[in-house]
Amino acid sequence: MSSTGRYKGFQSWLDERSGLSEIFRFLREKKIPQHRHSMWYYTGSAILLFFAIQVITGFLLVFYYNPTLEGANASVARIMTEVPLGWIIRSVHSWSASFMIAFVFVHLLSIWITKAYRKPREMTWMSGVFLLFVSLAFGFTGYLLPWDDLSLSATKVGTDIPRSIPVIGVWVTKLLRGGEDVTGDTLTRFFGFHVSILPVFLLAFLAIHVYLIQKQGMSIPLVAEKKDEKMKELPFWPNFVYREMVVWLVLTGILFSVAVFFPPSLDKAADLMAPAPEGIRPEWYFLFLFQMLKIFPAKILFVNGDTLAVLLIFLGVVAFFFLPLIDNKPEEKKGKIITIIAYLFIVYAVAMTIWSLL
Amino acid sequence: MRKKKKFIILFVLVISFHSFFLLKPDFAQQVGQKEKTEMTQEEESQEKIISGPQNIKESTGIYVFVAWMWLAIFVLIYILNLKIKEVDRLFEIRFISEKKK
Repeated sequence: MSSTGRYKGFQSWLDERSGLSEIFRFLREKKIPQHRHSMWYYTGSAILLFFAIQVITGFLLVFYYNPTLEGANASVARIMTEVPLGWIIRSVHSWSASFMIAFVFVHLLSIWITKAYRKPREMTWMSGVFLLFVSLAFGFTGYLLPWDDLSLSATKVGTDIPRSIPVIGVWVTKLLRGGEDVTGDTLTRFFGFHVSILPVFLLAFLAIHVYLIQKQGMSIPLVAEKKDEKMKELPFWPNFVYREMVVWLVLTGILFSVAVFFPPSLDKAADLMAPAPEGIRPEWYFLFLFQMLKIFPAKILFVNGDTLAVLLIFLGVVAFFFLPLIDNKPEEKKGKIITIIAYLFIVYAVAMTIWSLL
Repeated sequence: MRKKKKFIILFVLVISFHSFFLLKPDFAQQVGQKEKTEMTQEEESQEKIISGPQNIKESTGIYVFVAWMWLAIFVLIYILNLKIKEVDRLFEIRFISEKKK
């Protein structure tokens, strides 16, 4: 039997059992609309790329990381100084987390502005917002793992925020910390969240999200839909995938270059008894919320300022989650106001982040 | 003139390929370990660690690797661009013939 014959035989054997040819047929028949907002389609696959890099570098780091009070900082120091090319692996892991979250924000904001979440894609949006929360949780839990002064203090501040929530606040803080204060138990708990619980959630929501996208197809911008004209389409395979590969290559190049030229440093091991250092700051994607909490007055009328700020953030998050249901008539005046709110939110978040950095 | 050309080619080849030998992590690590003083692990963790290449050889290797990576990316993008043009043309032909039917 020739090698081609053997390959064909193996292909039909595999197909009979897995039904892979059905998937490939689906991918060949899947069409991507082409319009002036098409570039936003690439942000979704960019997130997947950074997630894949996170998984690979995370596996490599976990071989050397020791999630204990005594060993955490020393093991990260060892990764950076003794493990061959360990500093690059850590740097790529850290930077790809930032890139991933940045692209999640861009992806969601582009969907918000182009109204891609409108009927019947409400659930796709909601699963995407869940993915944003999980990504932020990854960032929050990962920030503590080097166990240096800054990460300890930032985690203390971060886990203290839920305390302002009425009724359940104290319980949430205790749940996050594994006790009254941030200790070695918090570190172990955060490590557990970071490497086992959150990945399960992320994969589950990712599967739902991707399934919904395939089921509903790619959304067409509202402006183009209104015109009701036949839109140019591209096959997903191979035309769109080749274009995506170009984006992946460029992003991978940028990520590695940034990781090589700007690797993150490591402070000395955190001391639980030491006073909080100056300039406590969370990761950049939490800065706008951090600044908002900082500038909020201690008391507004008879209400505690912190409680009010946390409740406002909570309401904002709930509204963001149910956005497709709130913006149920996107072509009318209400829809236009919601688009303006999207732009205002971008300006607000950028301004608050800059203010926090000053 | 010919000698000069040969010399330039040889020079470019040496510059291009010496990085592969420099990139050997074992070598860089050996040098790094030699440079380290006899500090205890506790003392070591008291300092702020600046991440980056451990020595000049590792840093040269890394930067040459980044240059090679970008060169490879540009070549791949060029090839992908040709492929995109080809598949788009094929799709257009099919698209037009479908329209005519």
